[in-house]
Amino acid sequence: MTGRIRRSLRLIASPLLIALVIAFYFRAVHVNNTTVALTLLLVIFGISAAWGLLEASIASLAAVLGFNYFFLPPVGSFTIQDPQNWVALTAFLITAILANQLSARAKRRTQEAVERRREVEGLYALSQSLLLSESVRTASQDLVTRIVKILGVTAAAFFSNLTQETFRWGATESPISDAQLETRIEEPVIDRARQCAIVPVRLGGQALGNLGLTGALPSEAVLNAVAYLVAIGIERARTLETASHAEALRQSEHLKSALLDSLAHDFKTPLTSIKAAASSLLGQPRPDADRELITIIDEEADRLNRLVAEVLEMVRIEAGKLHLEKGPLDIASTVRSTLAEIKPALQGRVVDVRLQDGLPAADADSDFVQQALRQILDNALKYSRPGSPITISARAGDGRVIVSVADRGGGIEEHEQLQIFDKFFRGREHRFRTPGTGMGLAIAKGIVEAHGGKIWVTSEPGQGSVFSFSLPVHRGEIVL
Amino acid sequence: MSAGKILVVDDDPQIRRVMRTSLVGHKYEVIEARNGEDALTRVSAEIPDLVLLDMNMPGIDGLETCKQLRSGSDVPVIILSVRNSEKDKVAALDAGADDYITKPFGMEELLARIRAALRRAPTSPEGGPHAITTPDLAIDFDTRRIRVHGQEKRLTPKEFDLLRYLVSQAGKPVPHRELLQAVWGPDYGDEPEYLRVFINQLRKKIEPNPAKPKYILTEPWVGYRFAAV
Repeated sequence: MTGRIRRSLRLIASPLLIALVIAFYFRAVHVNNTTVALTLLLVIFGISAAWGLLEASIASLAAVLGFNYFFLPPVGSFTIQDPQNWVALTAFLITAILANQLSARAKRRTQEAVERRREVEGLYALSQSLLLSESVRTASQDLVTRIVKILGVTAAAFFSNLTQETFRWGATESPISDAQLETRIEEPVIDRARQCAIVPVRLGGQALGNLGLTGALPSEAVLNAVAYLVAIGIERARTLETASHAEALRQSEHLKSALLDSLAHDFKTPLTSIKAAASSLLGQPRPDADRELITIIDEEADRLNRLVAEVLEMVRIEAGKLHLEKGPLDIASTVRSTLAEIKPALQGRVVDVRLQDGLPAADADSDFVQQALRQILDNALKYSRPGSPITISARAGDGRVIVSVADRGGGIEEHEQLQIFDKFFRGREHRFRTPGTGMGLAIAKGIVEAHGGKIWVTSEPGQGSVFSFSLPVHRGEIVL
Repeated sequence: MSAGKILVVDDDPQIRRVMRTSLVGHKYEVIEARNGEDALTRVSAEIPDLVLLDMNMPGIDGLETCKQLRSGSDVPVIILSVRNSEKDKVAALDAGADDYITKPFGMEELLARIRAALRRAPTSPEGGPHAITTPDLAIDFDTRRIRVHGQEKRLTPKEFDLLRYLVSQAGKPVPHRELLQAVWGPDYGDEPEYLRVFINQLRKKIEPNPAKPKYILTEPWVGYRFAAV
């Protein structure tokens, strides 16, 4: 409204300015006609540059009429005697048109420059803001919000292929539907008539999603640049997310291991002093009573040490912290070293070892398998009469090596056979009679299962029990 | 007369106390260090005959201390550690330790290992050579000197004893157990990882190409053999 009033005012003001110049030279200062003509030319030029072609044309007409009437002979009439005056009139008009074109072009350039600057500033602001988000989801939400704010469109929407979600911001009524936004496209789809556009967001050939914009759309080049920035922002957020997730995981794993190590150290250090002191005393000649008492200290230190080791082992298994270093494992030598290790506990009992000929190597960690076997043997020794035989056998079958330990103990009642591998479970009859923590078989189970094997028991009450575990056969080259 | 000067390195004062009392009771002279830095200074200042080194210490740990110590000394080192996995033992031996004992341990066992570490096989075993010389290798068993391509090499006492035993049986395969007992002592025999590590170190020091040894050969399932020269 104000624009139109201003225009009308300018249309009136242009001839008035010309009239003012003519009145000034006609009444106040007398100069030659050339000066008058040049002054009028300047004014027309100014009007044209400042206001526009129509204003300048009206001014030209007014100037020709006024100049002709007041200055050109015959003064006081509109007749033009001299053809030179036609030249003056034409000059006025041409000046007006030329000046107008020049100024219009300059204005257009300025306008374009301002727009480009705004676009570049917008892209820069967008790129800055996209670098602040730390997850793909917040980045996606942030970017639509910022695109609306920075590019000045009415609404923006982003469909993320990564999270399969659509993020929208701006005017709620959008001509772009979810289905349109979710359709994979290769090239930008720009509909200037309906003022909407969908641009694919890609990085290095990978489609990250689509960006939809409605409202006053920027140029296609800018749209592509925005899509590229969005791709970089999303990719950066994704990398950051994966990296921080991995780092958090690594740190917590590291913390768990460090905690277990320091627990082991803190428990075993005092035990080391006790054991060293007691065994040192035992190494010297002592009266029998002293020797008996010191032996108790020495043996109990050993027992505490075993308990600590078992508890820590159980914690490790439950925390999933068993670091298996698997390799081809020779069952025969594992059985041999386990028997050598528990020799004192055997107290002269006969262990019958029956291994199948040509037994393949198992794919396992020898330290841990030895530990599992030791637990099972300990169990067999504890729950069978001293002097009764124990048999270790091993066979291959179905891609597995199966190791069994049979005793002639009291056996396990059926309802207890499943519970026996549970942590802290003690058989009803033995709860108060046989020493132990109830962790041995749970540890054996944890170790075997960590190898991808199985552990089970078959038992006949009164006849004895057979504990078996299976380990996968080592495939591939056997390294000796 | 002291049976030898032993440096006990452990951050736990109670362990140092019990070690001092027990070892002094067995005629050893005992000096102490409570951390790795301290241990390194003491080794160069007091030249102990043996170092008992705790693996887990604040500051530079046992392994690092052992490595640094090895750069300037052949003193026998026994690592004491609460960990008992083969991986930890191999890491300790790789760092230059001569032996490894798991905490808690009985004093008799420790004393046996100390004796084994301090024990030197007689300068020349019976029937063994006093020296061997090939174009690239020269070993003088009497002076315990060894030159590879004319350059003098340092061997730790256990490495030297291992090499000497193999050379004394040159051409014959020596079983693992025999080798362990000859070098470490009669209480040993079930520590094949010791041999793996020490043979590896020896090969790095004397073989022109350690990946394809020409002197110290592996006899699969049996042991090792020094190629007759």
